[in-house]
Amino acid sequence: MNKYWHPVLTGIVLGFVLYATFMVAGQGLGASGAFARTAAQLAYLIDPSYASNAYAGKYLKHGNALANWIVVEVVGVFIGGYISAMLAGRIRREVDKGEGYSVGKRLFWAFLGGFIMAGATRLARGCTSGQALDGASTFSVGAWIFMLAAFGTAFFAAPFFYKQWKNVKEGE
Amino acid sequence: MLYPLYTNGLISDGLNFFFALLFGIGFGFILERGGFGSSAHIAPIFYFRDLRVAQTMVSAIMTTATLMIISVYEGWVNFDAVYIPPVYVWPYLVGGILFGLGMVMGGWCPGTSVVGMARGKVDAFMFALGLLSGMWFYFDIYDKIENFANSGALGRFTFAQLFHTDLYVAFFITVVIVVGLMTFMRTMKAIRDQKGEE
Repeated sequence: MNKYWHPVLTGIVLGFVLYATFMVAGQGLGASGAFARTAAQLAYLIDPSYASNAYAGKYLKHGNALANWIVVEVVGVFIGGYISAMLAGRIRREVDKGEGYSVGKRLFWAFLGGFIMAGATRLARGCTSGQALDGASTFSVGAWIFMLAAFGTAFFAAPFFYKQWKNVKEGE
Repeated sequence: MLYPLYTNGLISDGLNFFFALLFGIGFGFILERGGFGSSAHIAPIFYFRDLRVAQTMVSAIMTTATLMIISVYEGWVNFDAVYIPPVYVWPYLVGGILFGLGMVMGGWCPGTSVVGMARGKVDAFMFALGLLSGMWFYFDIYDKIENFANSGALGRFTFAQLFHTDLYVAFFITVVIVVGLMTFMRTMKAIRDQKGEE
């Protein structure tokens, strides 16, 4: 298995791509918006009344919620991640978790973490990409409100999840 | 001012979508190369075991912010046309707190979970399912929290607006925050290393 890039190198290369994105599209890289749009489209397919939902309706008023810049970008993220993992021989079906931690519990917390984070990204108008990275790179005050709240909470909550991440290794 | 190309009407919708795919591929590739396709690589930051996640974020912010301020100075970019998420103070604070909780529970954020899924991580897949369900739940409760979700609105709000100054000072403040945070994180790691837990 190939080694990962040095974090500073990763950051600098990422910084150049993010800059190029701003220069071309006039907006930065994101992720959570694509999940929100996918959920809106799914909700609409199952129950068309979501077209008039106070939140999801914003995504659905121009037709398909998925016909949007951020969705295309996140499809790219998947492709790029796959290419890199494939070239490095890192594609495997596995679960990351702490030493001796049960797979079932790990998957439960993963689901719940995602569930809670969804609304969090809607309130914060973005996630670690679209809010923290993009905002901080464009001198936004909001990015730091978000980041300090997020990482501050993570550090305080971390001891409660110590077993999940104890001596955590890749794959099981 | 040539940039941003799309906002200035210099490239078509189709070409903008093509670049979205291209930059997305670059983003995903880089995240995977940096180890962000594994929550085992991400979670140690919560315990200050290592600072890789912070180092990556800080280097990315510094790189983009520096290139951005040069572009402003040289007059290459119309900064007013660059999209910055509008600030809503209270929702950002509460959203940030919930986000932090979700990170420790889940071990992923939305972007990294996409890379995790591409690698076959089952926990990333569960996290993404949680995200989709949570979004749906948010749609259902939105009419009850709409007022709060839009409270403390400041609009497009950079440090230049906060301190009634220009973008160069805003850039400088960003650098100071980044250096301060990195110093704090290094101190925390040093304390942890000294205690030698685990």
